[in-house]
Amino acid sequence: MELQLQNLSKHYGKKCAVDNINLHLVPGVYGLLGANGAGKTTLMRMVCGVLKATSGNIRLNGKTQQELGERYYANLGYMPQDCRFYPGFTAREFMLYMAAVKGLDKKKAKSRTEELLYMVNLQDIADKKIKSYSGGMKQRLGIAQAELDNPSVLVLDEPTAGLDPKERVRFRNLISGFAKEKIVILSTHIVSDVSYIADTILIMKNGRIILQEPVGAVTCGIKGKVWEVLVPESEADMYNMQFSVVNLHHENNMVRLRIVNKEPPAPGAVIVEPGLEDLFLYYFGEEAKEEKLHVN
Amino acid sequence: MLIKYEFLKILRKKSTIIIMAASFILTTLLFGIQIIQYQVYNENGVIKGPAGIAYEKEQYKDLSVSLSEEYITKTILEVQQLFKNPDNIGYDGNEQFLIGDAYWNSIAPREKLLNTISKAYDSPDGTLGYNKFRNLDIKNGANFYQAVKLKIKTLLDDPSGNLSVCQKEYWSSMAEKAGTPFQYGYYGSWEIIISSFELLIFAILAVCIVIAPVFSGEYQAGTDSIILSGKYGKTKLVTAKIISSFLFGIIAFTLHVVLAYGIIFAAFGTDGWALPVQIANITIPYPFTFLQAALINIGVIYLILFAMVSFTLLLSSKMKTTYLVLAVLVPVLFIPVFLTPNGTTGVYNLVLFLLPYRAVMPEIGKYISYQFGNFVFNIFSVRAVLYVALTLIMIPFAKLGFKKHQAV
Repeated sequence: MELQLQNLSKHYGKKCAVDNINLHLVPGVYGLLGANGAGKTTLMRMVCGVLKATSGNIRLNGKTQQELGERYYANLGYMPQDCRFYPGFTAREFMLYMAAVKGLDKKKAKSRTEELLYMVNLQDIADKKIKSYSGGMKQRLGIAQAELDNPSVLVLDEPTAGLDPKERVRFRNLISGFAKEKIVILSTHIVSDVSYIADTILIMKNGRIILQEPVGAVTCGIKGKVWEVLVPESEADMYNMQFSVVNLHHENNMVRLRIVNKEPPAPGAVIVEPGLEDLFLYYFGEEAKEEKLHVN
Repeated sequence: MLIKYEFLKILRKKSTIIIMAASFILTTLLFGIQIIQYQVYNENGVIKGPAGIAYEKEQYKDLSVSLSEEYITKTILEVQQLFKNPDNIGYDGNEQFLIGDAYWNSIAPREKLLNTISKAYDSPDGTLGYNKFRNLDIKNGANFYQAVKLKIKTLLDDPSGNLSVCQKEYWSSMAEKAGTPFQYGYYGSWEIIISSFELLIFAILAVCIVIAPVFSGEYQAGTDSIILSGKYGKTKLVTAKIISSFLFGIIAFTLHVVLAYGIIFAAFGTDGWALPVQIANITIPYPFTFLQAALINIGVIYLILFAMVSFTLLLSSKMKTTYLVLAVLVPVLFIPVFLTPNGTTGVYNLVLFLLPYRAVMPEIGKYISYQFGNFVFNIFSVRAVLYVALTLIMIPFAKLGFKKHQAV
């Protein structure tokens, strides 16, 4: 199983949302990281065939979406960002409906529905209308429907957004369980989610994939660029504005700052081991700083 | 399976229940009011509603007759005899008419029949009714059917009609096919049915409002990407959506028809279904019974419904919200309500008679025809062909609209 994205671009007028992306994906979990507006959702929608690329193509096992037609979609499970449902349907009805959309026969649809509802722990409320479900329940239903036909490509767009920490852990475990022998593309801007379950990290910025590395090696590039420094409380804001601050911890009248920067941010700054959050900030520090300015 | 779920999706919406309930109530009111407002007169005054209907039916018991030349001659003679007695005649300064027992016993119970007969002898725009009989020369018999033929010819030759030779021949030949003598009788329910088809436009509108979100509702709710990425999202699902919309349209509209005509039949009965439409208006050219005329027009209305469903689905597949769909749909259905025909020929009139609101009216008393070369077609055939064609054209575009939709 291999999924190839060749020279894939998407333009909206003059704006380029996805810019000439080339990827070769084999079974494994790919954590797609990027700031809001980086082009993650656009890319995933093109992979799912619900958004037409301006140029380039997507091949599954060497054949394009167009050549495969229904067979392409038969290999696909998609959980969109902000997954919506039909409020008048029960979870069981929705699963059976999606099973019909995915072309499962009646018997398989029923058994797979029950199996998945059990796996996502919705079996007890499966006959309740979806409109009565919480956000977490809807997210679980979203991933359950994506898994219905046991697809070989699973695309999950911000699956943990809006979930509380307990739900997020539960959700990560679910994804890990479903991920075996599949190409799983998981987009998020919550770094800790991918650090637990991804095999490969893809970082997307301004419509381009700027980094593709195995999760263990992904931080190598910023070794020596992550610092810790202890500064007086009164200077913390100045550092915060000037540098990409990953973490800020108060210690008596001082503040310990974790900063991503090429040069030492202050005399006495100490190099520390980089993590995924540092990496994220290294690439998206400017956006983060802009956000800070907007907030201030 | 997909059809079942798509059908359920339509039914489960709160808006579907509200719109259908409102539409059924409206239909009940529109058709029920025809019973409540129905009124007949006798010497004691007005009799309204079901009592009036029962009274009229009773009067018709003696009027189930064949309108033979002998019967018509005898009837005209009876009226002429009444006019011979000065005590029976009243004068309002403008015209003379029968009064007292002469009117209430001999005219009122069969005035509708007398009006039907008199139209054969009256001028095209005349409304003399039984007064027309007073000076009618019937020494050689009434020659009623000859008079009908002449009346139709006069109407066809009227220069304002602007009919071509082919069209005149078409209508004359069709009118001759109506079997004579006409059988007369009570046809209360059919008179109302034939004249109130346009009230069903509200049922068509209700169906269209309900199915307006079939595609656009998915875009609006954000469920488009999830279903379009399914194996059959761009193929069988689209077909299922279209079939379930048609299925809903047929069922919902049929329920409206059953309700509307159920109310009318419950009050007026079904008498008269086999009588010729000419007894309501002797110049109707179509050789139909009331039942045939009603069924043919209902058939055409179903085709209009299909075209409107297709049009709604096309808009729905192309537009981002249901409100936009309705913003286009409602004017298309209702602007023709405010346009009045000024004749039966000319591009304006011929187009107007084909627009949805006008097209639900049978217009069986008018000589509306469409000529292509030497071929002449009546309005039923043109409407049927037009709306079938529109349905067949719009459905593939609706399918394509959803298939090509971009979940941005």
